[in-house]
Amino acid sequence: MTQLAAAAALVLGLSACGGGGLTADSGGEADDSGPIKLGMLTPTSGSSAAIGPYMKNGAQLAIDEINEKGGVDGRQLELIVEDEACDPKTAAAGASKLVTEGITASVGGYCSSATLPTLSIFDKAGIPMLIPAANSNDLVDQKLPNVFLVNGTGSQQAERAVEEIKAEGSKSVALIDDNTSYSKDITTKTAESIEADGSTKVVNKQSITAGESDYSAAVTSAVKAKPDFVYWTGYYQEGGLLIKQFREAGYDGKIMVADGSVDKQLIEIAGQDNAQGVLATMTQTPETIGDQAWVDNYKKKFNADPGPYSTQSYDAVRIAAEAIKNAKSTKGEDITKALEAIDGFEVFSGPLKFTPEHTLSAGGFEILVVKDDKLVLKK
Amino acid sequence: MDHLVQLILNGLFVGSFYALVALGYSMVYGIIKLLNFAHGDIYMLGAFAGFAILTFGGGAFAGGGSLLTLVIVMIMAMALTGSAGLVLERVAYRPLRGAPRLSVLITAVGASFALEYGIALWAGPNPKVYAVQLESSTLNFLGARITINQIVMMLIAVALMVGLDLLINKSRSGRAMRAISQDPKACLFMGINVDSVIARTFFIGSALAGAAGVMAGAYYGKIDFLMGFLIGLKAFTAAVIGGIGNVRGAVLGGVVLGLLESFGTAFLGSEWRDVFAFGFLILFLTVKPTGLLGEKVTERV
Repeated sequence: MTQLAAAAALVLGLSACGGGGLTADSGGEADDSGPIKLGMLTPTSGSSAAIGPYMKNGAQLAIDEINEKGGVDGRQLELIVEDEACDPKTAAAGASKLVTEGITASVGGYCSSATLPTLSIFDKAGIPMLIPAANSNDLVDQKLPNVFLVNGTGSQQAERAVEEIKAEGSKSVALIDDNTSYSKDITTKTAESIEADGSTKVVNKQSITAGESDYSAAVTSAVKAKPDFVYWTGYYQEGGLLIKQFREAGYDGKIMVADGSVDKQLIEIAGQDNAQGVLATMTQTPETIGDQAWVDNYKKKFNADPGPYSTQSYDAVRIAAEAIKNAKSTKGEDITKALEAIDGFEVFSGPLKFTPEHTLSAGGFEILVVKDDKLVLKK
Repeated sequence: MDHLVQLILNGLFVGSFYALVALGYSMVYGIIKLLNFAHGDIYMLGAFAGFAILTFGGGAFAGGGSLLTLVIVMIMAMALTGSAGLVLERVAYRPLRGAPRLSVLITAVGASFALEYGIALWAGPNPKVYAVQLESSTLNFLGARITINQIVMMLIAVALMVGLDLLINKSRSGRAMRAISQDPKACLFMGINVDSVIARTFFIGSALAGAAGVMAGAYYGKIDFLMGFLIGLKAFTAAVIGGIGNVRGAVLGGVVLGLLESFGTAFLGSEWRDVFAFGFLILFLTVKPTGLLGEKVTERV
């Protein structure tokens, strides 16, 4: 009885927070008529603001396609976007706002550090999350039932990275991260598994601060350790500068970047000559799997090129729609069950099935390489 | 040995940027006791002004990449950021001249955000890549590497600083600035146009920050609308280390901070760079708030 009272108080509290939310569709309990609302947190301001439109457009493309085909169970889908700013406080506020808007599922999440605090907000409101971009292991380590990663995890990325490092025959590796949850996760996991067979050593491991221009201190210290392979796991802005500054410091070994750095601006910032041959660990994208029709469609609609996580966001919406359709319900619990039951649904990274931890059963990470002014699939 | 020389060179190079930006901080503080927190964003504005000049005047600078191009663009950008400094002073600071210090400080923070997100609106939130990037050969100096560009940039920075020092210590206008920093009311009675001298101070400080912005753009290649934030704080730290209000102290503080960071990160690791820098800020504020060269104490008779 007291539990019930507490629950009632919670629901009342949530709807009161919404301001004018004292209607039937209070937090988490989506409406039974009208459009099915999907919420997306993505950075539209701040240092990663460039990513916002890529994710938003990707999701919108899927929603428009589904709506054209008659929606889900005869109901249209609607996308509500809130700013995440790659900042935990902004993201938490955005998540609460989405809850009061009565979204059925969340299809956003870019920066892992900003996505982390939103997990429990959505969990309390019973809203399932399909996270298209953020991929730190911290996200699934919380073991919340509502969290699903559409992107491969940090460990899966690290696994693929180590594979590549060994394949290149590297003996000494330098790892650099930017101290964020996402980036640190990959370097930690990479460092853990790299020395397993004794053939390769981590000779230098450091964290830099994002948002600066001069990384000569980090570069000097890394070059001094004489690595033959450098792996940078942060975002492209710093990645471009690091590549440039490594080359200027006379380093001529291999450089690899993680998926946060996969953007054509990486090459522009580094300078085309410096960037040649730089490797990247990345999940599949329409460019790399050669789905030209999808890219053309996107371009026609938004008058812009798709970018990182356009495809994952597109997939997140499609998976959410599939689960809602299978569940024949917009209740969080039912959708979560339907998500767990999905088997063989075609997404860009292959037939989809979630692991018991709610991650992709296959990471789908590939190695890209910079050729001229593009990142192309390494053959 | 070669590693040590490399650390010193890295420190001096970064330090010269800090020093250029710190000068504006110190000048404005020296004269009206205002911490102009929008100053780092003037540096960012300079980088974007240079970017715009290069983009729109693309034809005129075709085949650029030469140092002459850079200097011309830099002078134009300095004029632009100098004027922006004037506008900032006129719009945001002068109306609050008599207000409590805290109000002015908050206005400065507001001006900083207005500049940042104004540029983000105009140029978009994505980082931009400079059209003219200096390519140059690398010199070996006692086993350490330094590029000719780095040397030239440090020389430009030194030239600007020497010019400023001469201006302040040898010219009429400089004498007026020094006089106002001692007692603005008395200056008013002596017939000095205080407003115009303060405006001039803003112009010079902002122009120097703009020059640093263009240099950073041409050297690092990447600019973005938030680039002024951290360097603004670092320049503030440099000004405090050198003795805020003291122009030579700002230069010394910039170089000292650059070296401290360079050595600190070499021994502690890169993640300690900012902790180290701002730790020194706190250390100086508690132990020697007047900084290395010390603010000149107002003489009262």
